[in-house]
This record gives sequence, C-alpha cells and structure tokens, in this order.
Amino acid sequence: MRRSAVRLVARRELTERVRERSFLVGTCVSIAIIALVVVLPPLLGLDEQDRYTVGAVGEQAAKVAEAARAGAGAFDAEITVRRVEPDGADTELRDGELDAVLTDDVLRSREKPDDKLVGVLQAADREVRSGAALREAGLSEGEVRAALSPEPLRVSTIEPVDDRRDSLGGLAFFTILILYGQLLTYGFWVASGVVEEKASRVVEILLSTIRPRELLAGKVIGLGLLGLAQLLLVAAVGLLVATATGAVDVDSDLLIAVGLSLLWFVLGYAFFACAFACAGALVPRLEELQASATPLTLTIMISLFIAFAVNSDPEGTLAHVSAFIPFTAPMTLPPRILVGAAPWYEVVGGAVVTLAAAAALIPLAARIYSGAVLRTGSAVKLRDAWRARSAA
Amino acid sequence: MLELTDLARRYGDVVALDGISFSVAPGQLYGFVGPNGAGKTTTMRIVLGVLAPDRGEVRWRGKRVDAATRSRFGYMPEERGLYPKMRVRAQLVYLARLHGAQPAEAAAAAGRWIDRLGLTERAGDRVETLSLGNQQRVQLAAALVHDPELLVLDEPFSGLDPVGVDVLSGVLSEYAATGVPVVFSSHQLELVERLCEAVAIVKDGRLVASGTVDELRGSDGRTVRVAVAGEDGDGWLAAVPAAETVSRGRDGSLLVALTDGATPEEVLDAARRAGTVTHFSLERPTLTDLFRKAVAT
Repeated sequence: MRRSAVRLVARRELTERVRERSFLVGTCVSIAIIALVVVLPPLLGLDEQDRYTVGAVGEQAAKVAEAARAGAGAFDAEITVRRVEPDGADTELRDGELDAVLTDDVLRSREKPDDKLVGVLQAADREVRSGAALREAGLSEGEVRAALSPEPLRVSTIEPVDDRRDSLGGLAFFTILILYGQLLTYGFWVASGVVEEKASRVVEILLSTIRPRELLAGKVIGLGLLGLAQLLLVAAVGLLVATATGAVDVDSDLLIAVGLSLLWFVLGYAFFACAFACAGALVPRLEELQASATPLTLTIMISLFIAFAVNSDPEGTLAHVSAFIPFTAPMTLPPRILVGAAPWYEVVGGAVVTLAAAAALIPLAARIYSGAVLRTGSAVKLRDAWRARSAA
Repeated sequence: MLELTDLARRYGDVVALDGISFSVAPGQLYGFVGPNGAGKTTTMRIVLGVLAPDRGEVRWRGKRVDAATRSRFGYMPEERGLYPKMRVRAQLVYLARLHGAQPAEAAAAAGRWIDRLGLTERAGDRVETLSLGNQQRVQLAAALVHDPELLVLDEPFSGLDPVGVDVLSGVLSEYAATGVPVVFSSHQLELVERLCEAVAIVKDGRLVASGTVDELRGSDGRTVRVAVAGEDGDGWLAAVPAAETVSRGRDGSLLVALTDGATPEEVLDAARRAGTVTHFSLERPTLTDLFRKAVAT
C-alpha cells in the first residue's frame, strides 16, 4: 500500500465532500440542535424554581401565607404574598394574577391547585395553628419554636449520589443520538461513494493506477477524518454555549468524557465503515444500496435502542455486557463514560474488543471490495466477491 | 516495446482469452480489432493491471509490468467514467497526481490539455454539466494528463462525430510520433486501416492474424475485380471452379477471390468469353475484407 496514493484519495474525499451543500446543511443542523438543546431549557424556564403568588384575606391567612413564604425554599419554590380584599379575589384568580387565595380556613384557586403549592400552604397552615395551640397551652416562645422546627430527617442512600448525573444524563442522551447519526451518515457516505465510483465507471481508471486497497483505505480515512472534524466542531460549539449560558458545569471531567466519546466515534467508524464499503461494492447502482446496507443499518439501530436502555440503567447487566460487543460498545460506552458509570476496565476492554473486530474486518472487507468493485453490470453475491480474483 | 505473451483468462466457465501474444513497437499506432466478445477489453484490462491474467505475462521495455510501471501508462476504458460532480480541472489534476505527478506538474499538464482540447471555458464546471462530446474530451485528457509512456484506449472513437474523430486521430498520431506506442481497439476498420501501422485481429480469445497492415494485405493479393458489359450475374464464373464471388459492387462489378491455384488469367479468359470486359484489376484486400475472412473461418 502506497501512502501517497491513500493520502491523495483521502484528501479528495474530504475536499469534495466539504464542498457539497448537503454537508454544510447537515453541519449547521447539528450545531443548531446542540445549541437549542443547551440553550432552550433555561430560556423556557424549565429548570427554574416554581413561582407562586398567593393572596391572603384577613390576619390569620396573612400569617399562614407569610409562614409559607418563609418555608417555600425547602420545597424548591418561591412564594410572593399579597393582601387582597375578599371581593376582588375571584377575579384575580380567574385572570391568573393569583395562583391561590387563602382565607381563614379555605384555600381557593381557579382549577385544581398545584400539588407543590398545596403542600407548602398546608404545612404553613399546620405550623401556624400548632404554634397558636402551643402558646395557648402556656409554652414559651422558644419552646414553641423548638417544637415546631425539629431537626429535619437526614437522607442517606446505599449507592453514592452524583448530583450531576441528572444533567449529564440528558447530555448522554444527545451523545447517543449524535453518535448514532454520525455512524449511520458516514457509513452511508462511504457506501454511496463506492457506488458512485462504480456507477460512473470512474473506478476502472482509478484501478489502472492504484490498487483497490489503497482506494478503500483512502476513502474510509478521508471520510472518517471529516466525520471526526465535524463532531469536534459540534462538541466545541455545544461546550461553548453550555459555558456561556451556564447550563452545564464544564470541568475537566466533562472535557475528558467528551474527548473519549469522540474517540469512540473513531472506533465505531473503523468497525462500520469497511462493512459499508463492501455493501456499496456489491451493488451497481445507488438505488440498490438501501437493500445491501440493511443488515448494517439494522445493527446500528439495535445498538441505538440498547444504548437508550443502557442510558436509563447505566449499571445494569445490559450495560456491562454491551461494553464488550464490538458493534454496541461504540454507542453504549460513551454515555456511561459521560455520567461516570463506566469502570476503566470496561472502557479499555470494550476499546480492545472493538479495535480487534475492526482489524479483523478490514482485510475481509478489502478482499470483498476488490472482488466486487469492478463488476459493474449487476449486483454481486457476497460469495462471488469473496472468490473473485482481483487485480495484481 | 510492449510485449504480451500467452495471455489467458477465464470468467467462471467462459474462456475470455486463450493464449494471446503480440508486441507493439515504440511509436507504433497499433489497431486491435475483433468481433464483440473476442477478448479485446479483457486484454487491455490485463495490460493495465485492472485484471490479473490466469496465465501469461505483460512486459514493458523488457521487464515484467508492475504497479509502478503501470502508473506511467495511460488508459481510456471502454466504459467511460469520470467523477460526475467533480470539476474538470480538479479532476484532471487529481488523476495526474494519482499517476505520480508532482502538484505543479499536474496543474501545468491539466491546463495544457484543457487548452489543447478546447475545454478552457468549461475548466471550472462539473463534468456532469458538460455535453457528451466535451465529456469525451475530458476523458481523453484523463488518459493523457500524466504524459504516459504507453497509451491504451478501448474504443476511443465510438460515439465521436467526424470532427471529434479527426481531433482524436491527430492527437494519437502526434503521440505515436513522439515514440509512444499507442494501442487502441475499434470497430471502424477503415479508420484503423488509415491510422495504424500494425494490427492484431482476435476472435474467441485467440489471435487470428497480426502484423503490419501492409504485410497482411500483401499476404493475400489473390482477389480480382472484374466487370463484364451486360452481365449482372456471376454465372460465367462457373467456368473457373477455383474462383468464387466475394461481393458484387453497385456498378455491377464482381469481387472474386481465387483459391487452389486459380490464376487471374483464367478469370480474365472466362470473362472475355462471356462478353466485353469493361473493368479488370488485381485487388489488394482491405482490412475489412481481411477481418471478414479472418473471423468467418
């Protein structure tokens, strides 16, 4: 294999593909999606505290509302209190100016009130009434306070709790989606590039000066570099936007996790790209590619679903098993690495298994590709391609 | 000197080549003719290393051809093909580079051929937007852009209009004149006869005749054209059993082939007995005649 020939082919794949409008559009869409995913939740107020405005009618209600305002923080809520007249209360409720109105012994709202709000107000009401009862029974102010605010229960778990896992779980979900899209897209680009050379018959000119293996290697490497560069760009934009908006805490752990995910794209691509090249070499026209690539498309789809399952249970049996299967590992390990649920020996073991599988596949793919790529008339059977003797 | 020795190749049970040998001298325009399926394309693909032979070898300048040598050959396959979406100039530069040219050389050669073949205004266009004729020119440039030591062209004239045929003939003759052997296949036998110094005729994977056009035509020479006033048929020729009619001209003349020791004089005598002889000449067979005779047997 001559490196100069491989480099020339790789460079052509890269430069020609970059110039295509579909590539530009695809990159922009990816960046737009990642930016939206990072930016939208804070914009829509999805991750903010719940805010309520409560109207109080009368002294007793005002005390309860005030207690609710003071205790709302424990419920992850914020309450604003306003004194209202009984006459206008219903109108303000109907207009949405108020979320609830408290009178002596009634909590009134327009529709069924928010559970959290009810919880906060009921607790406040209990506190105020119990306090009054205790004072009546002759307890001092200090004793009342001590009785009403006991030490809260401490929470403890068997598994360690990572506060970031929730926010990173979302990131992991999109990592799976992006890896899936990237593997499928670039796999198909390799396959359709091969078919295009067959269909346009340019392959015969190419093979009169370079060998099939050089052509295959150049194509796979060129498109792989492009795929990696595109992912880097998307990841960089995502991280920048995340930092700018403060949506995700970007630290060195996260950077390493993102870097490892990119590395896993390379491993997954190495495994799938050669297989896709064979699927392309077996058919004479682009129309027939869908059919010959179906087994590969299905494999990637199955990996996607397994990855979703693993993401919702990153420590389950499926997660451990799929780390050591060459075609699932590239999609199930990155999300686990992101949330910190993949032990190092699984990451290394999965990488070794995937690399070994790719290394075993490449010569097989090269042989099938060489045997099939010059047969431009009709679809070639896998067995015939395997047996065909190709160029010297 | 390009030497092909005993090339053989099968596709499954089909024998495509069964021991083809011939050689092409430096500067020779060499015609490669034969009916469809005779093995011309297979032979050319083997020379270019696109296919491997089952038996036999190809030598160039006395040495067995390897990948490095082949990258200095120029090839135009029968099934034309270029990257449809790639621009003309970029495509030619790329192909020159694949053949081992340095970047500057490749750019200069691409520019030269673009100008020479009248593609200057389309150099920045995608190949798929060009007319068929212009695509053919790009295809020719693709075969020539790396300044090949040997040119192999499979049916280069098919689909060309008369002007295109003239341009291509000119380029090929010019190339051969610089000492580069040029091998091409064609079904246009008059053209091959006019252009080529030597030819090989193949049939069913075997060589049935080869040599210079003069040799091949002279080796026969036993054909006469004769016209007898008032005689449309060839009944009178029955007097010479060893002569037979090859074809009848539009002017009523007969082309007669002589076999088994029959002489032109005997035919002339028989014609004179039949009437007034208005035409009598010894004919040299055309390549077409030779071809028909070669593939008929």
